[in-house]
Amino acid sequence: MLIRIDPTSAEPLFEQIGAQVRALVSRGELAVGTRLPSARDLAASLDVNLHTVLRAYQQLRDDGVIELRRGRGAVVVSAPDHTRLHAAIAAAAAAARDLDIPPATAVALLKEALS
Amino acid sequence: MTRRTHAPHRVATTLLTLVVPLVLLGAATLLAASWADELPDPVAVHWGAEGPDGFGSLASAILPAVVAGVVIAVGAWALAFFAGHASSTRRIAAGSSVGMAGFLAVIVLGPLEAQRGLADPTTAPGIATPLAVAIVAGLALGTLAAALTPADADQPAASAVDPSAPRLALAATERAVWRRDVFSRATLTVGVAVVLVVLGLSVVTRMWALGLVAAVLAALLLSMVALDATVDERGLVARGILGWPTVRVPLDEVVAARVTSVHPLKEFGGWGYRVGRGGRTGIVLRTGEALEVERTGGRVVVVTVDDAATGAALLNTLADRARAV
Repeated sequence: MLIRIDPTSAEPLFEQIGAQVRALVSRGELAVGTRLPSARDLAASLDVNLHTVLRAYQQLRDDGVIELRRGRGAVVVSAPDHTRLHAAIAAAAAAARDLDIPPATAVALLKEALS
Repeated sequence: MTRRTHAPHRVATTLLTLVVPLVLLGAATLLAASWADELPDPVAVHWGAEGPDGFGSLASAILPAVVAGVVIAVGAWALAFFAGHASSTRRIAAGSSVGMAGFLAVIVLGPLEAQRGLADPTTAPGIATPLAVAIVAGLALGTLAAALTPADADQPAASAVDPSAPRLALAATERAVWRRDVFSRATLTVGVAVVLVVLGLSVVTRMWALGLVAAVLAALLLSMVALDATVDERGLVARGILGWPTVRVPLDEVVAARVTSVHPLKEFGGWGYRVGRGGRTGIVLRTGEALEVERTGGRVVVVTVDDAATGAALLNTLADRARAV
């Protein structure tokens, strides 16, 4: 699995890490039962604070994406089929490009629709 | 492949991998020969479940094992001398050579020592104890030789990463990690079967030394049934589940990382932490996709892992970045 973060981005690092894991799970690149790296390993690899990774993992657990097991670490527990959503997002992105809508506006519209 | 210089540490290699085992085997031969007057003639040379069942001259009790030990030592020395660019290659060669010499020396001496003063070789005691001592001595001497093998010096690359090697689009401000677990079900299945058979034999034949063999096999099996590979700012680290073996390539020693396909039996003579053809070293757990890293000093490291393309591309990209600093 490839996890990338950008410390210069406005999005908090723990959210970036969470979003990367969610995307991997949702694309089927992380199957149910896959073990994520230990929080300590991931923090060292990305050169971020251990608590940043722990916060990301806790949020993923709260959302039912992973389970945190003592001694076994973080394990992916749900990998729902998001094919329909991916197709819809691709279509929305294409429409936004066609209509020359700036990404920030498109994201704002999506956020509004979700809330 | 970059231009290859001679493998380093050739004197240490010759001493550890050739001289030490030959001295061990020579000393065992002389010692056994010096017992000639006290030994029965013929001596017991083979044991079955009921005790000694094969007899022969003193020479036939010594020579096969000693010749095997010499062949192994010369082979290991040649590998380390000519293709030992990586310390892991030299370490495996020295460990196997000295370990086998120690094992074989005890296997020759133990049963003969037990027959000193006997008139009738059919009354020779069993070989469970010499076998256990031989295994322990072989492991201890092999480990010692491997530990004494000189390590590689840091060899930072003088030139850029091979431009033709794969890359990944990574913004200058981005940090990235690639990580992958590998598990070999085939190794586990075969390994557990072998360990159970040896354990069963140990119970049936009441040779407790075989239990020791089973324990050693089980540890070996555990060390090569799974590994995880990580590529990040520190380079590549591949590690077995017991923490051993470990392969590490720092970013400044990466010449080029690529995807390759590995056939363990054909190219590495088996599974696990191996030295392969041309002195490539690596952790090979299964047939198929592998990450191959050409590093400085003419060394090549191979790790069998899925999605090696991403790992190779990230390793090259991060190595580029480290060179630019």
